Amino acid sequence: MDDATLRLERVAFEVAGHRLLDGVGGTMWPGEQVALVGANGAGKTTLLRAVAGLLPTTTGVLSATGLDPRTASPADSARRRVYAPQHPDCAWNPTVAELGELAAQPAAWLHWSERLALTDLAARPLATLSGGERKAAHLALSFATLTEPYGALLLLDEPTAALDRRRQEIVHQAVRAFAQAGATVLVATHDADWASSFPRVLALEEGRVIADGPPATVFNAELVRAIWGGPAP
Amino acid sequence: MRLGRGALVGGLALLLLLSAGALACGSSGLGFGEGGGLAWLRLPRVLAALAAGGALGIGGATQQGLFRNPLADPGLTGVFGGALLGLALMLGFAPAFAWGHAWALPAAAFGGALGVSSLLVVIGRDGPPHRLLLTGLGLNAFAAAGTLLIANLAPESRELLLNGSFGDWLGMASPELIVRPALLCLLAGGLLWTLARPLDLLALGEEAAQAAGCDLRRLRRRAILLTALAAAAATCLVGQMAFVGLLAPHLARALFGPRHRWVLPVSALLGALLLLLADTAGRAAIPGTPLSAAAVMALLGAPLFIWIARRSHG
Repeated sequence: MDDATLRLERVAFEVAGHRLLDGVGGTMWPGEQVALVGANGAGKTTLLRAVAGLLPTTTGVLSATGLDPRTASPADSARRRVYAPQHPDCAWNPTVAELGELAAQPAAWLHWSERLALTDLAARPLATLSGGERKAAHLALSFATLTEPYGALLLLDEPTAALDRRRQEIVHQAVRAFAQAGATVLVATHDADWASSFPRVLALEEGRVIADGPPATVFNAELVRAIWGGPAP
Repeated sequence: MRLGRGALVGGLALLLLLSAGALACGSSGLGFGEGGGLAWLRLPRVLAALAAGGALGIGGATQQGLFRNPLADPGLTGVFGGALLGLALMLGFAPAFAWGHAWALPAAAFGGALGVSSLLVVIGRDGPPHRLLLTGLGLNAFAAAGTLLIANLAPESRELLLNGSFGDWLGMASPELIVRPALLCLLAGGLLWTLARPLDLLALGEEAAQAAGCDLRRLRRRAILLTALAAAAATCLVGQMAFVGLLAPHLARALFGPRHRWVLPVSALLGALLLLLADTAGRAAIPGTPLSAAAVMALLGAPLFIWIARRSHG
């Protein structure tokens, strides 16, 4: 048994005959920050969902925080793993403060809602907020569910999409802070500049890992053209 | 502005006041009767309305939370229809057994309600809100047709079943008839309240709820079983009753916000209040010509249902 937070071997997932993940492998350790990059449809969200235990028919070896997310109970999995989806949603249109009442850590919710500039919006129903403000509220909720960062796993799907520059910077700082506290943070992003600031980048193409390492080695001209259609970040 | 604990206590006090008023109201006029005789006669009916209304309210709130659908109501989605069909099968084909065994009728109603609930989940769960409602309406129509067919085949139970179809059973409430269903209403309501936290997480969507630690299969299983139990017990008390389970959760959310720790108990309180008011108004509005609680609820609930449907479509 090792101390890896996340271990993937030959991870595959297919739906209706389409292979969305194909032999994905990799190991991530406590304190690592990993950017997950790839063009649309490369499998980033599918990989995050598989690791979060939301795709029980995924095959291969999959271990997250010492548990197999396909068979572990949702409560056990969620104890040390946070998954923030790309398009969060909430029925019944609660206010920001009411959304925060779902947080496992009320003090952490206050901290993150303040940092993400949500305090003044506390009484506003989510439907009256902008897309970026709603996303920030859901991110604050996700961050406030983590009880102990060390050895935990954060799976963030496009966390900065739709956020303004100020909130983007707060999320960047949060990712670094969680990693410094010992959490493993896996972030799917289309933000080339942000991805290039990560110590490690995992690039996907058609469900396969095509590169895994520091950004200087991963971001070659061909890959950058395939993902962003432009010059290297 | 959201209301809080003080308003909930105020609501309970109002319910007690209205219950006293309902004991004094009848088709023959106002008053408790000599030595409170009329009030004692009306007490089972009032208790049945309170228990059934509470179960309908919390059952509706749970079904809306489970399906994340503001139009879900066990009365409209066929769960009551299924309960009544279960009762009709028992009364139509084994009347001696039904009246000879105290738990036979509640058990038959529970079986029918559970059957429809399960079909509703299998057929109508995924997809847009109207799919669930259309599936429920179809199941409701099927259950109603089955009940009418059995009523025609079993003349001795015909009037009883037709009255049940029109939600007109409160008038025959007696201590012997209401005690078991009322206890089941309390049991189902109390257990449904324990689902507040997972239903709150489910508001974030199925995947987000699961990722946050909610065991969806367990939640669905418990919510469906308990909603069916609440619907079956309420059906044994009042017959088929639409709109209480729709109206009460909407009012609860508007007054107390969307958290289920409030929505569930407040829906039970408002459901009890609404059904008691509907029954009392139906008895007292036109002296000598009582109107069933279901008819009064439909008069109130149908316009609201149309308003909610228009709003959710927009």
